[in-house]
Amino acid sequence: MLFFSFFKTLIDHEVTVELKNDIQIRGVLKSVDQYLNIKLDNIQVLEEIKYPHMSAVKNVFIRGSVVRYVHLPANAVDVPLLEDATRREAANQAGKGK
Amino acid sequence: MSFFGFDTSRHNPAATGFSQAHNPFAGLSNREDEGDALEFEDTYDGLGDQLDETGDAFNDDTFGDTTVFESKPVGKDFDFFNTTAKVANAIEEEHVRFTRQQPTARSSQTVPQAAAPAAFQHHAPGSSSYGHYSQLPPSKPARTGYEKYSSEPVAELQVDAALWGVAPKKQTQAAVPSASPAPMAAAPARKILSLEEVEAQMRAQAKKTSQQATPSPAPPVAAVPSGSQTQVPPMHYDQAYQFAQHGQPAQHADTTGHDQGAPAGHGHPITILQRPTSKPAASPQPPTQPAAHARQQPSGPIHPTQILQNPNRLSGDAARVGMHQQSPHGSYPGHPIHRQQGSFSQQPQIITHPSQLSQLNEEEKAAYLDQEAKRAKRNHKIFLMSRDNGIMTPQDKSFVTRIQLQQLVAATGNPNEHGTDESLTEDFYYQVHSQIQGSQRQNPNQPLNNFAQTYLYQTGSRQGGMRRHHRGPENHMQRMEQQVQRAVEAAKNKPKNKQLVIEGSLGKISFSNAKTPKPLLNIKRAENPTEAHRPSSAHRHIDHVGDRKSDLRSIESIYTTLMKMEDHDRVMPPPPANDADTEAIQTFVAWNSEAQILNNQLWESLRIHDHPDNGVVHPFIILLSYTKGMKAMQRVSRHLTHEQRTTILTLILVNLDSLDVVRGAQVTPDSPQPNAAMRENVELFIVAVMSTLFNILNELDLDLVAGMLGLVCSRNVDVIAKSRVGASMLTMILSRAEIIKHGGGGSEQAWHSWDVTHTQFFDLIEPSLPHTFPGPVTTSDDIYVWQLLAALGIGASPDQQQRLVLAVKDRVMDTVALSKTLPQDLAAQRLQNVNLFMRSIGLDVELLQ
Repeated sequence: MLFFSFFKTLIDHEVTVELKNDIQIRGVLKSVDQYLNIKLDNIQVLEEIKYPHMSAVKNVFIRGSVVRYVHLPANAVDVPLLEDATRREAANQAGKGK
Repeated sequence: MSFFGFDTSRHNPAATGFSQAHNPFAGLSNREDEGDALEFEDTYDGLGDQLDETGDAFNDDTFGDTTVFESKPVGKDFDFFNTTAKVANAIEEEHVRFTRQQPTARSSQTVPQAAAPAAFQHHAPGSSSYGHYSQLPPSKPARTGYEKYSSEPVAELQVDAALWGVAPKKQTQAAVPSASPAPMAAAPARKILSLEEVEAQMRAQAKKTSQQATPSPAPPVAAVPSGSQTQVPPMHYDQAYQFAQHGQPAQHADTTGHDQGAPAGHGHPITILQRPTSKPAASPQPPTQPAAHARQQPSGPIHPTQILQNPNRLSGDAARVGMHQQSPHGSYPGHPIHRQQGSFSQQPQIITHPSQLSQLNEEEKAAYLDQEAKRAKRNHKIFLMSRDNGIMTPQDKSFVTRIQLQQLVAATGNPNEHGTDESLTEDFYYQVHSQIQGSQRQNPNQPLNNFAQTYLYQTGSRQGGMRRHHRGPENHMQRMEQQVQRAVEAAKNKPKNKQLVIEGSLGKISFSNAKTPKPLLNIKRAENPTEAHRPSSAHRHIDHVGDRKSDLRSIESIYTTLMKMEDHDRVMPPPPANDADTEAIQTFVAWNSEAQILNNQLWESLRIHDHPDNGVVHPFIILLSYTKGMKAMQRVSRHLTHEQRTTILTLILVNLDSLDVVRGAQVTPDSPQPNAAMRENVELFIVAVMSTLFNILNELDLDLVAGMLGLVCSRNVDVIAKSRVGASMLTMILSRAEIIKHGGGGSEQAWHSWDVTHTQFFDLIEPSLPHTFPGPVTTSDDIYVWQLLAALGIGASPDQQQRLVLAVKDRVMDTVALSKTLPQDLAAQRLQNVNLFMRSIGLDVELLQ
């Protein structure tokens, strides 16, 4: 749930989602779920020349499994907190694994 | 009816009504085989034997092809409905004709069941349809229509409705077929309707006209004996029916005083009814009996349709009722009376609409039919909408809703448990992040709450709308919420079988759920104590000196303990308000002891009191060489006591020259800058550790500060001074003493020890001063040196000041010279740095220019 928890804090921030088919979509993150499906608003494809069919699309729902990267806005990430959250997550997983 | 050997191949098996549950004739054919046959045996007087079997001649008209007439056995499932439908037009014609010759037709109508097999056969359509009616509630037309509509397109009904509304008269006159668009399938259903109505009309008209003895072109009319009327008692009508139905003319004769008609006579009226024109042979034999019966009809007050009833459809109740009513009027054979009375009791319902219809005036009729049309339309609409009714029961719906809400709650967390440990572990980052970013959302629970609320509300209003009469939406919503809570509780309490352990496998497969959507393979770990306590500080005693991995692990254990302490802080109970509140005191004491345990844990994991062998760096100092070790300092110091903090500061000062950021970041004139990684470390150390130490130092008294400075003097001051961190640390100590002096603090004795230490320190650092500057004079990042010089200068004696100036004179002059070549702002910056020092000894760079 760490990633879900993390991405929830990025809602209403602009992110760039890179898909496994190399399309990069920049838009405002509107929603994310536990599958890390992503809903973006006001999207803009980075290499628009290459993907003209996307030029008319204004918002997208991206299935989590097709996402390769999400480029984060650095100033929206609380690194120490994220580190702690990671520690907790690791502790949780270790606890569950036993 | 199989004895007629009908051609079953002729009927349309695909047609509506065939082999359907509601096929009115499927059941009938069976019953007629048994019930009617029995009836026949009981009551048959052999008259049928005298019948001219040539009555069969019209079978082919009615039932179709004669060529195969006897070739195939009919079987019990003969489809009267469809077979009759084929001759629908003929029958309709009959009806039209029949309306013109009611009296005769009336009489003929009464006879059919009494007739020989042939006659019976002729009437099969009619009788069966009525049999069907007798099973149905009063709203017959609509009902019959539905049976058809269920398998027919919408348009069909609308056409029918239009018929009802637009051409009501037509329909009563049985002129419908021409208007009907549906060829075969539609006809039967309509036929049923029209037949009934026509008969009702006939009855009504018979009432009116029988008194007038309306002349009719048909032969039977002429044969009607007028004398019979006078003799007829009111109940004669019923008896006549009884006669008609059971073929017992004798009984009828008893009551009416009429001669029994010839057996053939009974059969003929039927043919007249059905085909007046096509069977002229029947006309010459006007049966007295039927005619008389028709005349008597007016006297039978309320129940004209009784004739139409199929005796076999009677219910026991109805029969009994009929018996009671009937008994005063004379003795009749019990059995027939039962039959007849049963039909009698049912009859008023059946006729309700059609018979009354004929008695109404035109306007009323129109209004009635209009209403009827509306009703049919509405019923049809309801029917269309109700096609999917009942697919889901209310229980199903609530079950599905509950599952959805449960999933929702599981995915987003129970709105009620935010801030609890569970939600923090699962959703830590989000929860804390939203708390930190509190300004954006007033309440971290808000989005989730809204989410869940939205769904709950929607459900509530939807359900509420549906059953507005039972309960308000609010109530339902509450109920739903409770339901969800219960469901969540139940889901929590239920031991979850969320893992699949395959025999002989090393691990287990956990199923996906909302929180872990991806199934995981969990490898079973060997239960060993060390592993079990891995996250805790239990293995701090394992000495892996100089092992980076173990160092990092130690730092992690510090963090783990830190997080535990932070969690523990969150649940800090309020301090007991007074001594009487023992419970509060106990809680507080328990919390304090727990905090103490955690504090000890943390302290031990910091390894402050370790005493490493000579030449080995203290483990705590090693921790400070790691980035995350430095970062931990701020948090660590928050959870330590004052003494512990002082101890840490002391330890750091004692080991100042072994600090990574001091040792590894020595400035030399040749290589002014340490590498990038070290620079970053230095920056981080200054931000993370120095600020902490500064805070600690600011709490200290002068004697302790003097002690600190003394500790530094015991180390390699040159190394310390040549590093940025070291120089800053020295500045910190010196300036702290200066601040205490300005504040007027410190005892005489303390000041004395301070002066001694300071002099010692000055002597130690003086030779290093010219070399503390990072790189050549062009290096701009030398403010910390000037700060150190300033701190030294403030507290220095005039003699020491002199020595200071001498030590750094070259650097001062170079910087001033350089500043003249630099842009305005940069020059000002450099001069300002120099001035920090110059002013501390009462000078100014202005004097040098």
